[in-house]
Amino acid sequence: MSKLFPTQEIGSLKKPADMLKKVKDPNVSAEEKIKARNDAALLNIKTLEDIGLDIVYDGEVRRVEMYEEPVRYVDGFEFAGRVRSWDNKYYNKARVVGPVAFKQNFHAEEFNFVKDNSNRELKVPITGAYTLADWSYDEHYKSKDELVLALAKNVVRPLVKDLVGLGAKIIQIDEPAATTHPAEMDIFRESINESVKGIDAKFVVHACFSGNDYKALAPQMPEIKAEQYTLEFANRDTWNTGLDDDARKGFQVLKLFKEHGFEGEIGIGVSDVHVNEIESPELIRDRILYSAKALGDPTKVYVNPDCGLRTRTREVSFDKIRSIVKGAELARKEIE
Amino acid sequence: MISSYTFGIYPRSEELIEATRKNTENLSSLFQKETEEYITTQTNANLGFVSDPLLKWDDIFRPFSNLSEVTPTALNRIYEMNTFYRVLSFDGSAFTDGGNTVKSNLDSSLPKNKTVAIPEPFTFAELHTSNEFKRKEDFVINLAKMLRAEIDSLVESGFEVIQLLAPSIAYNKEVDFGVVSDALKIITDGLNAKTILHTYFGDVSTKIESLLDLPVSGLGFDITTTPASSIEKHSFSDKILTVGIINSFNTAIEKPQECIKQIDEINAKTKPKESYVSNNFDLEYVPKEFAMNKISVLGEIARGAKDV
Repeated sequence: MSKLFPTQEIGSLKKPADMLKKVKDPNVSAEEKIKARNDAALLNIKTLEDIGLDIVYDGEVRRVEMYEEPVRYVDGFEFAGRVRSWDNKYYNKARVVGPVAFKQNFHAEEFNFVKDNSNRELKVPITGAYTLADWSYDEHYKSKDELVLALAKNVVRPLVKDLVGLGAKIIQIDEPAATTHPAEMDIFRESINESVKGIDAKFVVHACFSGNDYKALAPQMPEIKAEQYTLEFANRDTWNTGLDDDARKGFQVLKLFKEHGFEGEIGIGVSDVHVNEIESPELIRDRILYSAKALGDPTKVYVNPDCGLRTRTREVSFDKIRSIVKGAELARKEIE
Repeated sequence: MISSYTFGIYPRSEELIEATRKNTENLSSLFQKETEEYITTQTNANLGFVSDPLLKWDDIFRPFSNLSEVTPTALNRIYEMNTFYRVLSFDGSAFTDGGNTVKSNLDSSLPKNKTVAIPEPFTFAELHTSNEFKRKEDFVINLAKMLRAEIDSLVESGFEVIQLLAPSIAYNKEVDFGVVSDALKIITDGLNAKTILHTYFGDVSTKIESLLDLPVSGLGFDITTTPASSIEKHSFSDKILTVGIINSFNTAIEKPQECIKQIDEINAKTKPKESYVSNNFDLEYVPKEFAMNKISVLGEIARGAKDV
């Protein structure tokens, strides 16, 4: 993208309440449910466009969530039941009971709709092989590595190929589990490379922060076939404006990526998705400028929230995105 | 036949999950019904010791948030799991409430042969924060004093075996075993109950010698992370050995005959003072139907294994 500091979302937004009500109501017809989903997708796309994001998608409004949605459409999985994430929050966890295989492009309808309804650049988020494996029970494969690679080759790669065939140009592979197991970075790297093998598109990897501040990821980054990483920084940063290391504690790890020889783009998380407070445009500006300096090249900096915003209200989410867009404008003015 | 128990937090049923989310009118009776169901399943499986399924506990530390000067704060990931606990902030120096915090959060209808699992002080200090104690070792020692009061109260009410959950000792590369030992001494000195330090979430192969020197009655191991071959290199002649043979992280149900053979082999090589089998960590990592099956299988393994 020719513009400096392009802005983008990571993926999920909280679903509109009226859409949820309709799709859960057994008395609502299938046609009305389709319309409710389309209306919600359109609302998200247009809202993100109106706010001024450069790269958009539909807020994953049609998906149950990032794990259950793909697993529903992959051979070899059976749902076991819900397990706790925290407190009263649970997720539906599946067992791998046979060879995993791609059945159909479960994001095709969603992608075609977004493509038909937006002129902006689109970034399609998909769940990566490593995370699918890590969040499942494996009763079939001999090892986790074997399951990860089977998912990469037999599920994620065919999905990516199909999306690219439909016109997708940027694919974001979501891997929140990747950094939770620092000792398993080799198989993570291999899984991304196998997932994208032989496919011509721009690949982005989204990995959440965990424990060791991306220290295990950094050495792998030059070897992974991804042009961009969208990562979390804001939730460890201070809320003070400024361009010094003390103010920008959460972003210091960027220097490590450079030291390890990574020369690609970083989608910097400038907005903390775990709090309702809205970061000021000035704070976002400083986070961007600090990152540009740390990476040594402002053209490598993309700007986004830390993660998907689905745990925030829609009002808070859109306010955060508005601030991101304004902060990027301020940063551009400083550079230009 | 050897002895056996399951420990930690057990999974809620789908019905109970929904009830907790919606705070339904029958929530309290559902908790009670499922607690009784788990107790019956353990009893029917002839487990040596029976534990409360801790269905009301949101994480293994949460009851301690009721202590004075303790505040629950941010969510934090449990090691490398896709599960989170709430970090407790210990804001003062005297955080004991007479030792009734754990006991008051347990079901009173447990049979006489009962066990309970609580975090050991080193793990506790690693995963939580103190505004008062700047040195980690001071925090560990004060937590040990608080836990001793809790354990005294539990023993007084009839708990025969106390599991001390030690995932940080397993997970952390660096462990100050001097501090761990001092803290455990506070907990176990003169205690009229068996204490078993249970390690999981990390391979402790290189730490077993140090673990054997700790002042506890026994050691427990998760054999999915610490290979049996590592345990077998050591003598347990003056320690209880608990093998966490039931994998709470996979829905695949263990094959009793294979497990019995493995337990017999481990016991033949380690010659433990007493031999127990258990789950490797909290059963709540599998849905209820699988947990129930695993409890029954554990009983079968214990009945089939040769006595030591």
